Amino acid sequence: MSAELKKALYNISALADLGQAITSESVFHEKIQSVFYVITGTFLANRGAILSYDKSADRLITVTQKGFPPADLDRVDPEKLMSLGKNEPFLIGDSPVLAIAGVKILAPLWVRDEFIGVLLLSGKLTGSPYTQEDLELLNVIAHQIAIALNNHSLFMDLSDKLEENRRLYEEMRHIYHGTLQAFAAAIDAKDAYTQNHSYRVAKYSTAIARELGWNEHDIEGMYVAGYLHDVGKLAISNDLLNKVTPFTPEERAEIRKHSTTSHNITSKIKFPWQNVQDMVWHHHERLDGCGYPEALAQESLSDGVRILSLADSFDAMTSQRPYRKKMDVQTAITELKKCLESQFDNKIMLVFCKVLEKEIKGELPEPDILPYLDRDSDLSVISSMLEAIIQELSAP
Amino acid sequence: MKTVQFSVTSRLVGDAAVIYPKGYLNNLSGESLVKECGIYIGKGITKIVVNFSETDLINSIGISLLLQIIEDLKNIKGTICCTNMSKFLQDTFEMLGLIQYMVVFPVESDALQYLKVGKV
Repeated sequence: MSAELKKALYNISALADLGQAITSESVFHEKIQSVFYVITGTFLANRGAILSYDKSADRLITVTQKGFPPADLDRVDPEKLMSLGKNEPFLIGDSPVLAIAGVKILAPLWVRDEFIGVLLLSGKLTGSPYTQEDLELLNVIAHQIAIALNNHSLFMDLSDKLEENRRLYEEMRHIYHGTLQAFAAAIDAKDAYTQNHSYRVAKYSTAIARELGWNEHDIEGMYVAGYLHDVGKLAISNDLLNKVTPFTPEERAEIRKHSTTSHNITSKIKFPWQNVQDMVWHHHERLDGCGYPEALAQESLSDGVRILSLADSFDAMTSQRPYRKKMDVQTAITELKKCLESQFDNKIMLVFCKVLEKEIKGELPEPDILPYLDRDSDLSVISSMLEAIIQELSAP
Repeated sequence: MKTVQFSVTSRLVGDAAVIYPKGYLNNLSGESLVKECGIYIGKGITKIVVNFSETDLINSIGISLLLQIIEDLKNIKGTICCTNMSKFLQDTFEMLGLIQYMVVFPVESDALQYLKVGKV
């Protein structure tokens, strides 16, 4: 085999090496280092550098290099390189385009009309000159490196934008939750007896949803429904809400409108969660079909509705009301248990008991229910009670 | 084709370091060869024998790494001997003109004797 043919085969295999290096799954700096080795190994250049163009700073940044003083590379003027041919190798000779000792040849890197950077190479170790074949090969290599650098730059831009969007999304979420809290505060402020009721219901509901194994997105939806379930009460007069004596049938009917009003208000909001409106609308429905506003049958009640119904009732029972004193936790749990199957769901009750039991035992890092219960509660009594209910409801 | 993970071992024989690359010298793992030689050069060793008995193939990345070793030894007026080379390796080094920067021997013992007494 002739020497020319052997060299041609070596060049072809070098292009294959380049393709493999560029398309490898390595991280960028490893990829570019492999590319750099392919180039210096192909041309036997003992010094070389790949610089990428930072458009915003209008300067070239060294991606990888060997053998050149870093300060010299920092001084390379991108403007001078941009006037040269795109990806066309340029033999330096006596040209003043670059003032770095030892650079014999360069290739400005371009992708379409975008200047990407430059490839610099020293002379060959053997001292032989760059041939026409070398220049043609370098032109192909320059195209490939330009594309690889450009892809990386685009990827980094996208990553930055993604990170910025993520940050903005988190800020929006923060504002969103702030708005919800303001809404909830407005609802609760109407009724001196229900201060922080919406907040607690949101906390209790999410604790149950989390224990049920819901995903974070759906748990957040549950939280929002908890906050907004009583938003319809904004349309009810303060006098009626704070009435001490029992409601007349007309007054009760008026009060009961609040869940439909809540639904009407929340329907105007395009939530990223599917069933917030359904949960706020039906949180006073019952399993026996005697609830309101639609007296829905058991099979029509989603888990979200069942959770909200139980959490709302539990907090209502353990809170002071104008017409009655607050119940202690044990009594409230006994009441919930009495209403199983008619009003509350066995599965949801079981999960509620389990999560409260875990919180009492300190098994959960951030308790959602326990901090809002009466401080005088006897936790050991409650715990025994919960254990008995868990055993009973877990039985096949 | 089964690819052998590239690795390097070495030993000191008198004032010469013998390096044993193993596997295909075709990616960044070949940097360990440069590193191994650099350790000996750093200790003042100027004679290096690279025994290629377990490295049959090399690509442009491997050539670049070898170039680095040749350059490092050149800077300290050292000697690199290559032994037990496959025909592919020898042809590649000859075609690229690298052969003039190394002393080639069929076996390691010849290289060590050459480095010791100046002839085989």
